[in-house]
This record gives sequence, structure tokens and C-alpha cells, in this order.
Amino acid sequence: MNCPNCGTTNLDNASICANCGRPLSTPSYTPPPPAPSSYTPPPPGGSFGGATAAPAQIPNYLWQSIVVTICCCLPFGIVGIIFAAQVNDKIRRGDIQGAMVASKNAKTWVLVAFIVGIVLQIVVWGLYSAAILSAIHSGQFNR
Amino acid sequence: MQRSLAPFTRVNLTVSAIVGAAGAWILYTFPPGRGSFYPRCVFHATTGLLCPGCGTTHALHELLHGQFGPAFKSNPFLFAVMLGSVYAAPSLLRGETPPLFMKTWFAWTAFAVVMAWWIGRNIF
Repeated sequence: MNCPNCGTTNLDNASICANCGRPLSTPSYTPPPPAPSSYTPPPPGGSFGGATAAPAQIPNYLWQSIVVTICCCLPFGIVGIIFAAQVNDKIRRGDIQGAMVASKNAKTWVLVAFIVGIVLQIVVWGLYSAAILSAIHSGQFNR
Repeated sequence: MQRSLAPFTRVNLTVSAIVGAAGAWILYTFPPGRGSFYPRCVFHATTGLLCPGCGTTHALHELLHGQFGPAFKSNPFLFAVMLGSVYAAPSLLRGETPPLFMKTWFAWTAFAVVMAWWIGRNIF
């Protein structure tokens, strides 16, 4: 929606304008409906019956997976890419519940890859620093 | 729209710009290589093999100095990622998933390309 103050286009669920900070008037705003308490499997044939979310609202974490793979947080980023592909495939076949599960898995693996990558990075960096420091200490760099 | 992604606000963009500029200055000023302070690839440090992202720091340093040839040699895959970033940036700034990224064939192609590049660069 557009901000009544400055005209900036904001996200549909934004409560304040991202540009000027004015509250956005949303008189008919209704919170998203809660997930149904009892899970009903989608009917065969790939219809959208029983869907709890529109396909566009299910993130597939594809670019996050690729970024985390490139940043050497392997091999978990690759798992994220596979789940991202599953999200897309299941949305295409109308399996919204399955797509949401795959989306959740993709998110988990991106997070795992990121955290493991950071931890390993600190460990390796610490080892290298220790090795360089001890080399300096023992005079290996004095030619 | 993705509810799980924080939309890019003014604060977000300002912080990103400052961090990005500082990172670019560090990368431009200090060359990566032996004995440098840059983080190392864990995969390369442990196995001695190259990962899909290995050489990115070198490539970015060379790119900032306008050396496209050496940058492409350091990590050609980075150029594909940058092309994808240029395509994805407008959507991501709106807090949306780029339409191409929601295609099944694209996700599997990305997977195949990453794996082929990873294996191929260690063989050839």
C-alpha cells in the first residue's frame, strides 16, 4: 500500500511507513487467520483445498542457501538448495502442506549451515592466528 | 511477500551501506593471501580442495582494482552469482522472492551448476 504522507510503496502488512515512519491507516486490517488446529491432508488431484497459505507466501530460501554454500558453510547449504527445489515442486503440484514442511527444512538447514560455518570459521581463524603467533615468537620470521 | 524476511527499511539499508563501504575499503586496501587476516575457507583448510566459493575474496579484491581478467580466474562462479544478485535485488528490496527463484527448474539448475562447478574445479 502507499503511504498517505509521502507516497512510498510499503508492504501490505506494514503498520508504519518504511520511508517516513508515519503510521499507515489500515482500517480494515485483519490479522492473518491462525493455522487450523486439526491437520487435514490435501485432497488427491492437486487442488488447493485445505491450503493455509498462498503459494507466494511460502519462502523457499533458495538464494539464502546458495549464498551460504558460497560462503563455505558446506555441505549444509547444498541440503538447503535441495529443499528449496522441493518447495517449488510441491507448490507447483498443489501440495501446500508439503511445501511448508520443505520450506521449514530449508530454513533449518540454512541456519545450521550459517551457524556451523561461523563456528568453524572462528576455530580455523584461531588456529591460524595461534600458529602465526608462535612462529613469530620462535623467531621464524627473522631472516 | 515473505513474512519470514524482515523488509528492508531505511535503517536496514543505511547499516548495509555503511558495512558494505567499510568492507569494500578493507578489501581494496589490504590484499588477501598468505598471512592476511581474512577468514579462511574451512573446507579448503581441512581438505586442501577448493569449495565453490574459494577465491571469492581474491576476486573481489581484484574487481575493486578493475582487474576483471584475474578476478574471473580467481572465481568465475562469482560472476554468475553477481548476475543473479543484480536480477534479484529489486525483488529482495521489496521483501519479495524473485519470481525466477520460485521455479523448480531454476532451483535444480542452481544445484546442478554448484555441484558441477565444485567437482569440476577440483578435477580440471
